[in-house]
Amino acid sequence: MSSPRIGVATTIGVWVVLAAAPALLNEWRMSQLAQLVSYGIFAMSLSFVWGQTGLLCFGQAIFFGIGAYVMAMLTKGMLHGWPSGTGFGLLAASLVPGAVALAAGPLMFRGRGLSGAYFAIVTLAAAVIVERAASHWDWIGGFNGLLDVPPLRIAFGGRQVDLLDTVPVYYTLLAAAALVYAVLLSLERSPRGTVLRAIRDNETRTSYFGVDVARYKTLSFAVSGCVAGFSGALFATQFGFVSPALIGVPLSTEVLIWTALGGREVLLAAFLGALLVRSVESVLSGALGNYWLLALGALFVLTVVLFPAGLFGRVLALPLPKRMRQG
Amino acid sequence: MQQVLITALDATNFMSALLLVTLGLVIIFGLMNVINMAHGELFLLGAYMVVAVDRAGGSFWLALFAAPVALAGIGLLMEELVVRHVYHRFIDTILATWGLSIVIKQAVIILFGPTAQQVSNPLPHAFPIAGAAYPAYRLFIMAVALLVAGATFLLFYRTNLGLAARAVIANRPMASSLGINTRRMDRFTFAFGAGLAGLAGAVMAPLMSVDPQMGVGFLIPAFLSILVGGSGTLLGALLGTTLIAGASTVVSSIWTQIIAQVVVFSVAIVVIRLFPQGLTGSRK
Amino acid sequence: MLSVTGLVAGYRDGGRVLEGVELTVSEGECVALMGRNGMGKTTLLRAVMGHLRPDAGRVRFAGRDITGWAPYAISNSGIAYVPQGREIFQDFTVEENLLLGLIGKKARGTLIPGSVFGYFPVLTERRRQAAGTLSGGEQQQLAVARAIVSHPRLLLLDEPAEGIQPSIVHSLGATLREIAREEKMSVLLVEQNLDLVLAMSTRCLFMENGRIVDGTDTAVLRTDAVLLDRYLAI
Repeated sequence: MSSPRIGVATTIGVWVVLAAAPALLNEWRMSQLAQLVSYGIFAMSLSFVWGQTGLLCFGQAIFFGIGAYVMAMLTKGMLHGWPSGTGFGLLAASLVPGAVALAAGPLMFRGRGLSGAYFAIVTLAAAVIVERAASHWDWIGGFNGLLDVPPLRIAFGGRQVDLLDTVPVYYTLLAAAALVYAVLLSLERSPRGTVLRAIRDNETRTSYFGVDVARYKTLSFAVSGCVAGFSGALFATQFGFVSPALIGVPLSTEVLIWTALGGREVLLAAFLGALLVRSVESVLSGALGNYWLLALGALFVLTVVLFPAGLFGRVLALPLPKRMRQG
Repeated sequence: MQQVLITALDATNFMSALLLVTLGLVIIFGLMNVINMAHGELFLLGAYMVVAVDRAGGSFWLALFAAPVALAGIGLLMEELVVRHVYHRFIDTILATWGLSIVIKQAVIILFGPTAQQVSNPLPHAFPIAGAAYPAYRLFIMAVALLVAGATFLLFYRTNLGLAARAVIANRPMASSLGINTRRMDRFTFAFGAGLAGLAGAVMAPLMSVDPQMGVGFLIPAFLSILVGGSGTLLGALLGTTLIAGASTVVSSIWTQIIAQVVVFSVAIVVIRLFPQGLTGSRK
Repeated sequence: MLSVTGLVAGYRDGGRVLEGVELTVSEGECVALMGRNGMGKTTLLRAVMGHLRPDAGRVRFAGRDITGWAPYAISNSGIAYVPQGREIFQDFTVEENLLLGLIGKKARGTLIPGSVFGYFPVLTERRRQAAGTLSGGEQQQLAVARAIVSHPRLLLLDEPAEGIQPSIVHSLGATLREIAREEKMSVLLVEQNLDLVLAMSTRCLFMENGRIVDGTDTAVLRTDAVLLDRYLAI
């Protein structure tokens, strides 16, 4: 077990390296990295709901996809009467999936709610169905989705500037990632976060302490949904398109793999997991084709069996909050 | 009237195949407390086995016998190599078997390509039923499923092996204390469940377009059947399967398949919400 | 016959329970293990039966080292276990429960020996009833019957008298003594009920904080209450 001090040092180190990336990588690699940051934020959303609260969600891409679609439709002006600016788009893209999670929560967690396994199955089924429904819904583009999603538009020096260059885009996304990280981390380290982990480790016992388990689960689910939607919106502005591929099982599976490989219980580990897998994938999948996914699946199985804490989980784990340390 | 009968037969058809998948899943879950997310891919492998034999020029009937046996072997391998290392970590069994499903699906894509395959119908005759010509092969599927499901029930409720299995399901530590080799039971259970799924896949192959995505299409309804019916008994599996298969077929005959999926899923969620133990009131 | 040396064991989230247990049970002996709640008596039986993997120490039975064996392997080597709460299969019949005591054993066949019904005649009447419909005392008899149906060499009993009315405890003790004699079976008995201990055992051990701290011949306990006060009183 590495000393917790190492965790602080490595965490800071990772952020420093990320901030310095434009100085370290060439243009093309930078644009690759910029694309990966939204995935990293996506992975953090899953780490929060799964690693902290113990809710294994097989349909996390549903929230990602909703955020992406909402952002796309708003900024393309498809929803008349609603603002089409970046700011409102990001806000809506975060809140709508959160609202969906908020509504679905009581259905799944109240009373003798769904246990961990059943929750996984239900979210999987939901992902399958949402993907199929999205493919057949022509208003949102059907199978092909929506193209020409505008890029991020920031008010800079009194003007509206489209973020198109790699480095500004990267730093904007990195700032967004840092913001999300700060928010989620502070939630994790707060007393509420402790309750979530208590629910994860022993739900029954925690409920005996008078904790409204269903409410905590729903809120955690909603927060994670907001973050996932936010990352989906960012993705849409970068890639310029949204499609049912962003909302279904394949992407849900991928984010699960990233998070498990990186380290489900440590936010930054999950973030890095996404970055790592995706960047290796872009290098190898060209050469290996279908063998890449086979190898990834096998690696995933190996990780689950042998390294449940993930590849980076140990090394990036932060020490307990001061209020919880003994002596 | 004729339409009603045809729909009823189609529903029974779907139910038969789904039942074989669900039974395997429920037995594995009941005995080993393992949620086998790769079960849909085992079904898939059964279907592809038929494709492979068909390509090699062999007869369908040979494939039909070979598939369950081969799949039982694969199930054994899966259990020995992966499942037994994680089954004390319940949630991780879901992940590990999910990973295996990815591996299997990719292997199939590599070996057979991503596009759909067709297998010729070995029984192209049709029986006149209530004035319409109903495909003989569909009747055959129902007969096979009924036979195999019936044999499974007999095995579980009328043999000593079945008694031992039910004891392990009821109280694993106590069964072990009595000398029942739970390790051997686990192997047998997984192999048996895999064999059932493989048989289902093989028998359904001539009826569907065999493509690498068909696994999930049977996994989800199977899981929903278990949740709705109750995961503790085979009877629960039977009840759940009947309801899910019936509802799916009926709704998709009136509207589209998509609407059927949405409706069935939504109704299933409501039922599970109202009856967390399933309709038979038996949840593990 | 049974020899436990230096056994250290515990639970992953409950900490260490056994702190170096040493005990032996010889052939034909009935040894009682007494002590207050939470001292590790049940944990010891579970560890011997293989339900708990020891962190240190050895368990030897009939000349073989069975430490770390799976429960079914230990059962097949000739040890039978009746846990606290009996744990009979409620939904199965009496007959099926008894059958399950035989199924796992390779060489035993599946014919329930008539002697079992001789020891517990009430089971004959209730043969085809669901085990859950039996009274507490009858369930206890069924649990014991199921354990001895395969002629074990050693019987581990965890608080068989719990929840049973005194008159039945008395006859149970007598029956168990008879079985031990007829079947040439050794017994390790965890029990708080002094009557049963006096009726059945030849030797008595006392357990405290995960260790065997004292022991005596049972005969002594009939007249001398000092040990009982020390190790059983709250």
